[in-house]
Amino acid sequence: MIKLKALGALTLGALIGLAATAQAEEIKSIAIMVPEQGTDFGWNQQGVDAARIVAEKFGLEFLPAEGLGYGDVRQTLRELAEEGAGLIIAHAGGYNAAAQEIAAETGTPVAIVDRPDDMKAGLVADYTLSGREGAYLAGRLAVKMSKTGTIGIVVSGEPPSWNSQSAAFAMGAKATNPDIGIVYAVIGPAAYADAAGGRRVTESVISAGADVIFGQGNGSSFGMIQAVETTKAVNGEKAWFIDVIGDKSELDKGNLLSSVLWDMVPVFSAMVEDIKADTFGTRGYQISLADDSVRLLKTPHIPDDIWDDLMQLRGDIIAGTVTVDEINDAQQVRALMSSVEAAE
Amino acid sequence: MPGLFTVDFTTALIFGAVTAGIPLLLAGLGEQISEKAGVLNIGIEGMMLFGAYTGFLVAFKTDSIWLGFLGGAGGGMLVALLMAIFCVWLGMNQIVIGIALTLGAEGLTALLHHFQFSRTYPRLGAIDSLPLPVISDIPVFGRALFDRHPLVYLSILLVFAMAWLFRNTYVGLNLQAAGDKPAALDAAGVDVYLTRSCAVLATGALAGIGGAYLANVGAGLFLPFMTNGAGFIGLVLAMLARGHPVWVLFGAALFGASLALTTALQVAGLNIPTDVVQMLPFAMVMLVLVIFARHSYLPPALGLPYVRGER
Repeated sequence: MIKLKALGALTLGALIGLAATAQAEEIKSIAIMVPEQGTDFGWNQQGVDAARIVAEKFGLEFLPAEGLGYGDVRQTLRELAEEGAGLIIAHAGGYNAAAQEIAAETGTPVAIVDRPDDMKAGLVADYTLSGREGAYLAGRLAVKMSKTGTIGIVVSGEPPSWNSQSAAFAMGAKATNPDIGIVYAVIGPAAYADAAGGRRVTESVISAGADVIFGQGNGSSFGMIQAVETTKAVNGEKAWFIDVIGDKSELDKGNLLSSVLWDMVPVFSAMVEDIKADTFGTRGYQISLADDSVRLLKTPHIPDDIWDDLMQLRGDIIAGTVTVDEINDAQQVRALMSSVEAAE
Repeated sequence: MPGLFTVDFTTALIFGAVTAGIPLLLAGLGEQISEKAGVLNIGIEGMMLFGAYTGFLVAFKTDSIWLGFLGGAGGGMLVALLMAIFCVWLGMNQIVIGIALTLGAEGLTALLHHFQFSRTYPRLGAIDSLPLPVISDIPVFGRALFDRHPLVYLSILLVFAMAWLFRNTYVGLNLQAAGDKPAALDAAGVDVYLTRSCAVLATGALAGIGGAYLANVGAGLFLPFMTNGAGFIGLVLAMLARGHPVWVLFGAALFGASLALTTALQVAGLNIPTDVVQMLPFAMVMLVLVIFARHSYLPPALGLPYVRGER
């Protein structure tokens, strides 16, 4: 009887092993869904480019679905699942509910953003990305470059990723100069493509005294850049812009100071590896300074001594001697800004 | 933050309010012409967006902001022509066609942008303004209101020109009749189809110019979906205005001012949820809707296709 049980256990173990192997073999393609075209020098482009690189790296078929907007994407999810996607990356917060539904319906693993509590082993994984460590460096850079003593943060919405970076930027600035003024403004509830709003709000923030703008906006970032290019700071000198996620150097007309760059290749690679190892959905994914998946863009506008200082700080963050708290809640971010201002 | 509301900051706020309000004003005035003639122009968002695209394209290629506005008018009229064909001449459902045109314009402009601009994101330079003598020197308000691009002044003048047109000319009467009693207009020997078609095309032209202003002056570039519902807000303003262009001006100014106020409240560091602040412009419009919409006048034949001889 014991022998039979042992044999049964062995058989069961072998079957589980076979099942895992079979699942690994099933990953033949990777799909990514983005709300705008993957040519925005930001969130969408970084996502699509990273997924393409990961597909090539693992020899997978690449299935991009771009420009889907922010509406109902269930049909697209179903089509991608029917095409045999081994992993669907739903690269927008607005896709979370639909992606989870279709994952349950079709059994296709999906990756969603900003919902770490909704993970489900084998089916749903979360990647709540934040370049907050890079934003902390950007805060120090902004203070070092500011001549008016006031810097600004303009955002197109308040998703957790933006919030944590806004908070880190403010903390980095305040750690560098406790007397710095920080002006914070949101363009709209989800004004990711509102370029005119980005320009209008940024012009107001510059007029309020800020001469370095930390802008987080997707498409609306171009409106912010336009404002920085066409509006002088209150001291009559040029204003600077610090971007996030992508590298807009080739579009720069002289005002792009830096960017908190995100590299999603390590994140998407880890997802594929987890599917292969049958551990998908058991952990979240992040980016960090340590593996260079978050880094600060070096432009010719940054003096060498300031850059050296930033790299020193980067080393301290990686070593853990400087820690950057993660603040994702919008209300806490606002409270932080208010307290920053109150400390003046 | 003490000392925040400096001359520069306050000027920028008012400046931004006017910049945000002008596209709404033009869209609202355009929609008012259509509605007066009995055509509910839901497609105005699409007309505005297509006008933004063509307006930016022409301004960028010719380096002329005025040709850009002309291009915007042309783009808006192109979409409006489809509206006229389907809804006025073929008598199809105005709401369905309007939504279809908006979705079509969104898709088409996003596609065109992808192939033309998505690798370079070209941006226009600063736009020249026309300071009005003496009054542009008034502190704060002078620069914000009277040192603007000439299209701003023309848009304000258009409000009064339209009010005069509606009240004192046969064109105004014909438009009103096309919306109130199209059969009576027909019986009087005036072509209802032509009257309504011209009204829809005029809407397209104004919405297109509004879109071009948004792209060329407001943003300095074109992006897919950049109108962000401005056309629909213009539609609401037109409905609230009860056929009076001056009320459209008031509504657009109110919305623009509310947008500026949201920025002011945030920059001032008001520690209340941003969502509450961001609701302000829409809450203002809804408040006005609740107060005034009960008395709003809508033409009896609004949204109904006219078929000659049919009762």
